Amino acid sequence: MASVPTTEFIRIAEQTEGDNTTDDPRFRAPLVTGGKNFAAVTETVANIAERPAPPQAWYVAMGVSLALLGLLGAMVGYLILTGVGVWGNNQPVGWAFGIVNFVFWVGIGHAGTLISAILYLFRQNWRTGINRLAEAMTIFAVICAALFPGIHVGRPWLAYWLFPIPDQMNLWPQFRSPLMWDVFAVGTYATVSLLFWYVGMVPDIATFRDRSKSKIKQVVYGIFALGWNGSSRHWHRYERAYLLLAAIATPLVLSVHSTVSFDMAVSQIPGWHTTVFPPYFVAGAIYGGFAMVIFLVVPARELFGLKDIITKRHMDNMAKITMATSMMVGYSYMTEFFIAGYSGDRNEAFTFHNRALGPYCWSWCVMFFCNVVAPQVLWSKKCRMNMWIMWVVGICGNVGMWFERFEIIPESLTRDFLPSSWHAYWPTWVDLCTLAGSFGLFMTLFLLFCRYLPTVAMAEVKTMLPEAHAHGAHSADEKRTDYRPDEHHDPDTDAPRFANR
Amino acid sequence: MKHHSAQREYWRSLEHLANTPEIQQSASAEFASYEPDGMLSMSSLTRRRFMKLMGASMALAGLSLNGCRRWPEAKLAPYTSTPPNRIPGIPEQYATMMELGGVGSPLLVTSYDGRPIKIEGNPTHPFSETVKGRSGAADAIAQASILEMYDPDRSKAVINRSGGNEIATDWDHFTSAMSSTIDSLTASPGSGLAILCEATASLTTTRLKAALAKRFPTAFYEYEALSRDNERVGIKSALGQPARQVLHLDKAAVVVLLDADPLGAHPAHVRYAGDWVKHRPNKEKETSRVYAIESAMTISGSVADCRMGVRPSRVGAILSAIAAQVGLAAAAASLTAEEEAFIKPLIADLSANSGKSLVAVGPHHPAEMHAMALAINDKIGAIGSTLTLLEEPNADRPHHFDSLADLTKKLKAKQIDTLVILGGNPAYDAPTDLDFAGALKNAKTSIHLSLYDNETSHACTWHVPRAHYLEAWGDARAWDGTVSICQPLIEPLYNGKSSDQMLAFFAGEPETESDAIVRKTFADIDDLAWRRVLNDGLVKDSGFKKVSATINSSAALPAAGGQSGYEVRFLQDSKLYDGRFATSGWLQELPDPLSKIVWDNAVLVSPRDAAGLGVGVGDMLKVTVGGASVEMPAFVLPGQPVGVIGLALGYGRTMGEHIGSDVGVNTYALRTTGAMYFTSAQVTATGAYYDLATTQDHHLFDQLGIQERQARVGEKHKSAEIIREATAAEYKRDPQLFQRNEEGGISLQLYEPPRRFNDPHAWGMAIDLSRCIGCHACVIACQAENNVPIVGRDNVLKSRQMHWIRIDRYFKGDAEDPNPEVVFQPVACQQCENAPCEEVCPVGATTHDTEGLNVMVYNRCVGTRYCSNNCPYKVRRFNYLDWHSQDPRHDKYPKPWLGLPDTQQIETVPMVERMMYNPEVTVRMRGVMEKCTFCIQRIHNTTIAKRARGEELKDGEIMTACQQSCPTQAIVFGDLNDANSKVSKWHQDKRAYSLLDADLNTKPRNRYLAKISNPNDEANG
Repeated sequence: MASVPTTEFIRIAEQTEGDNTTDDPRFRAPLVTGGKNFAAVTETVANIAERPAPPQAWYVAMGVSLALLGLLGAMVGYLILTGVGVWGNNQPVGWAFGIVNFVFWVGIGHAGTLISAILYLFRQNWRTGINRLAEAMTIFAVICAALFPGIHVGRPWLAYWLFPIPDQMNLWPQFRSPLMWDVFAVGTYATVSLLFWYVGMVPDIATFRDRSKSKIKQVVYGIFALGWNGSSRHWHRYERAYLLLAAIATPLVLSVHSTVSFDMAVSQIPGWHTTVFPPYFVAGAIYGGFAMVIFLVVPARELFGLKDIITKRHMDNMAKITMATSMMVGYSYMTEFFIAGYSGDRNEAFTFHNRALGPYCWSWCVMFFCNVVAPQVLWSKKCRMNMWIMWVVGICGNVGMWFERFEIIPESLTRDFLPSSWHAYWPTWVDLCTLAGSFGLFMTLFLLFCRYLPTVAMAEVKTMLPEAHAHGAHSADEKRTDYRPDEHHDPDTDAPRFANR
Repeated sequence: MKHHSAQREYWRSLEHLANTPEIQQSASAEFASYEPDGMLSMSSLTRRRFMKLMGASMALAGLSLNGCRRWPEAKLAPYTSTPPNRIPGIPEQYATMMELGGVGSPLLVTSYDGRPIKIEGNPTHPFSETVKGRSGAADAIAQASILEMYDPDRSKAVINRSGGNEIATDWDHFTSAMSSTIDSLTASPGSGLAILCEATASLTTTRLKAALAKRFPTAFYEYEALSRDNERVGIKSALGQPARQVLHLDKAAVVVLLDADPLGAHPAHVRYAGDWVKHRPNKEKETSRVYAIESAMTISGSVADCRMGVRPSRVGAILSAIAAQVGLAAAAASLTAEEEAFIKPLIADLSANSGKSLVAVGPHHPAEMHAMALAINDKIGAIGSTLTLLEEPNADRPHHFDSLADLTKKLKAKQIDTLVILGGNPAYDAPTDLDFAGALKNAKTSIHLSLYDNETSHACTWHVPRAHYLEAWGDARAWDGTVSICQPLIEPLYNGKSSDQMLAFFAGEPETESDAIVRKTFADIDDLAWRRVLNDGLVKDSGFKKVSATINSSAALPAAGGQSGYEVRFLQDSKLYDGRFATSGWLQELPDPLSKIVWDNAVLVSPRDAAGLGVGVGDMLKVTVGGASVEMPAFVLPGQPVGVIGLALGYGRTMGEHIGSDVGVNTYALRTTGAMYFTSAQVTATGAYYDLATTQDHHLFDQLGIQERQARVGEKHKSAEIIREATAAEYKRDPQLFQRNEEGGISLQLYEPPRRFNDPHAWGMAIDLSRCIGCHACVIACQAENNVPIVGRDNVLKSRQMHWIRIDRYFKGDAEDPNPEVVFQPVACQQCENAPCEEVCPVGATTHDTEGLNVMVYNRCVGTRYCSNNCPYKVRRFNYLDWHSQDPRHDKYPKPWLGLPDTQQIETVPMVERMMYNPEVTVRMRGVMEKCTFCIQRIHNTTIAKRARGEELKDGEIMTACQQSCPTQAIVFGDLNDANSKVSKWHQDKRAYSLLDADLNTKPRNRYLAKISNPNDEANG
């Protein structure tokens, strides 16, 4: 791992002892630390998959995850054999844990697409360190999410009737239903996210293929590398495709959770029927998604030695986004309360009164603390740099966002228009085990990903290294490490094509 | 073209036109390349082709998932000779009668291919008709008795316990075993035979009793746990002869009820409720005023205009005061200030409405009070106008309670060798101090004829299964004495015998079949007239004769009991009666009209007492009476009088079979001969808790919720969002009141609705809140009509009850108010034109038809429950589990492992229960949403028949099940296209309003008519 510190930047980096979080206006902070060169980046990332055995902690985590996954299987089997009645849902509360979990997991997915698509289009080069992890998280979260609408229906074996499949009965779904829109929104989202993730991974899988020593790995990675040989033409096609997919995925970040929020917003239950929901849900989803990324990345960079690639600067940036979105969410909460009071609608006003002071007040407090109060510690740089605090904030974000959905979905249903129909909701053990099991599914997939696939976008990270831009004596450029992958020097004018400084 | 044959004018292709030999050959075969024989002939079968065929057939077998399923073998057998008048698939209706407590309810039973499926009131009987000749009402208990008949838990064999162990045998065995008993009785009568009956007015029973008494000395006893004999004895003492009073609430402008519940707990309550409503807000008559002074919360009290809750011991004093003030020579009792204030306007009303008023006393008060009430009625001119006195049969019959005490005494003295108990369950419901079950052991032979092998059967040496009233012939009399024949609708399912058959056997009658036994009683009716009687369901002019006698007005009341401490009041249960209907799942899951408790009874306490005891709903209380005590959960019931503990009888059965055993607590344990209805008790909180299942207000509301509920429901006698109401005086002053109160509704529509949903009919419903008395008959009617399942206590606790129509009960007034107002609001699907449920269903399983019905397509429903979430009325019901095959007693009995059903779906429902399903209504499987359909099957049966005959549909020809069962006709259904239909008129009524429509613009097809009450401001503090 001997690297040669050739550039001035690396010297500066060494002077600051690896801290790339300082914002010195003279220099761009490095996005890869530890003096890694191309080979070292490949070595670091590929080593995770190539080493004979993963760290002990991986086995422990995998054991727990598989146990939870088994629990999920048992719970789903029990549910399908017996009926939705094994959950705690009741007459006013038709939707509870099933839909709460669905919205929660869909929300988690948002950070991945945001990082990979929107930050890509906005040239936020620091995304390269974490985008692969975040995209993988998106895919797995969407898989978890997709499970719930399927099993929460009364007759899961007929859930496919929600798809517009031509049949001999000439029956067609009912397109005015937001649940239909969900099917399309989540379906599109899952497809595009998967494609985006996979397309971005092709050069890295090719690297794995080329480095593999076992025949099986060579064949398997070979199949998924799609014959990548690193030619300029491949790179060209790849980068166009990636840009296109980013452009397609970007509106999805906004549309998916907007559509999911329509499930509530389009209905007329007080507490659901709210026009603020689409932006509020999107902000919440991004907040929750970043919280999940933080929750995953903190141990991953520790376990797999990725600290130089997913640097403190990455964590710092994520902390800032988390805090910003948490405040958007907080603002939405306030807006809801204000509008409920201002509207003069007695049902609406009562719902929010009841939400904060009624029988589920405790869950509202948990939500408010986790989503609005806890992230405020991130104002302090000390806290942003303390990975334990970051991790706890990440957990808070997940817990808070889960409770937000719990507050909105079942809690609004417990007390709607006619007081005669009011009834409390409590989950059963099956509800709780299913929720736990969905984490098992998510973590199992994530751990398998960490072990067998490139967890960091090596090709993209390398473009951030100074070496990628060492074209003669452009000392100013040499200090930059935040090049975009598509940023090249025009050989004629010898100036960066996207020079915008 | 010369190949062209002459006949051919069309050609399929150019080759065909050319008519080559190949084409000729292929055209002659219909499926050119299909050769079934060739395909399967082994000689020409190549390996490749074999694999293809096998693969395809395996795939097909796998695809359908049914390929490997073994279908149960079933045989179909046609009639060799079809019964007369039977058209397969066309239901028939028969008039019959159900006797309960000696009084019959006239019924009309619908039978489908020989299986009775639905019970309604007889539309031609004055005690059940609601719309003359067209519709009759029956109460919840009578309607639910269909379930009892099909109950697979009913006893199926004669059981001989004489040897100490149980031997199942049959009727023949029983009769041969009894013949020696009969022989010895005939030879040396000794003390003879003793027979304990339930109260009955059957002429056949009377005839057989006489025949039996002639054969050998027989002593007859009669017992009912809930007896009206106090009234009978009281009237006899005042009148000098026994008489029965028939109230005419339709003629009474002022009604004073002293613990009487003519609308809820009287044998004639269906008729009385119909009479009462004739004097409620309408065009012909001024609204009557009902005063209720009561020691419990009753249906009559909850719809009364002025109500005062008092201790039972105070009722006598108040009656005396009324007597004194109307001018009778009664000792004027000293009244409290509150009582005085209540009485004063009451007396004024009584004297202002002489001849148009009425005083009634509850059956549990002592005879002297009834005598005094009769004297008051005489004084205020009620007799002959608002009250008729009729002759009562069996004039010399002792009081039920005395009769049982006498029997027990004789049993204890070993004076009775052979005792036959016809029905009833005295081992369970006799006063505890008698120890009837213990005394029973002294009889050498004791025979219990009963539907179930119950507590009394187990104490007897013989149990004989009884035929249900729908299985055997009999006769009974309505409250006014009109005789009806009980026609069976089916052969006894479990070889039961009727009580008449049992009596006929002991009497040595030649007839053994119930039809012959009954026909013999009415031998004077010729066959043609007999058919008429059966058709109409009553014998014309067979009622009791009027009595005219002078009334002795010098009745004196016994001294009032203790005043301090708690007083217990034993209550007739609104569903289980005296406990005999505990085996009915429908009734167990029917909410109590006021407390809304299901599957339990509770200690009803007033809010003030609950605060004093430091308990809330579900906290266990120990109620001690004398030496006995029970521990039961408390239920805080607004309106319950302070200091009075209400205990419903009929629960805590130990041998109530699967459904009825261990439901609630047996309060008979506290009931003794000295205190059959009231007594004083000590009450203490035990600190334990029990979750009471209720269908409304479950889980104690927090203060926030209570405030909001009261705000939405409104103050006493004031309109609010959900409940609109006014007093009669306000309404008279300002008839436009309700229109003006309407908040600025949103009538704006983004786009014109594509249809007006009125082709060719526009179905609509209207419900008058002034008429609804909360009796819950509609709930059972709907349950029977629409195959609505029960879910059991544990699932009611989770709020998963399935009733398509529910009665929302709201209390209005402060929490401290001892006499809150009660409003009943029946809520079923409102059939919104802008239905919120329809828009959100992703598979289009709920849609609108052209006539305005919001219909459910069960087999399209996947069960997302989105429709239910979006329904502001929360009237949709979801099959969370497979309710029909689920055990409703999961809370008590062990579930199958993890609650996994053995087999899915209806296959697990006993065959006999499946016979009861209405074949016109789908039995919904689990995972499917369901709801009220306005009885679409009834609509279509009538409209199709009308269309086939080319007739116009007349208003009132289609009735929904709830409407039909409503004794007060609070529900009206019909075609809104017809401007003259009753429902159109109600929709245009000045009181009409749509629930939540102003907020949500749902445009419901159901409207409510605002409640009008007639309180006296002076009496209502």
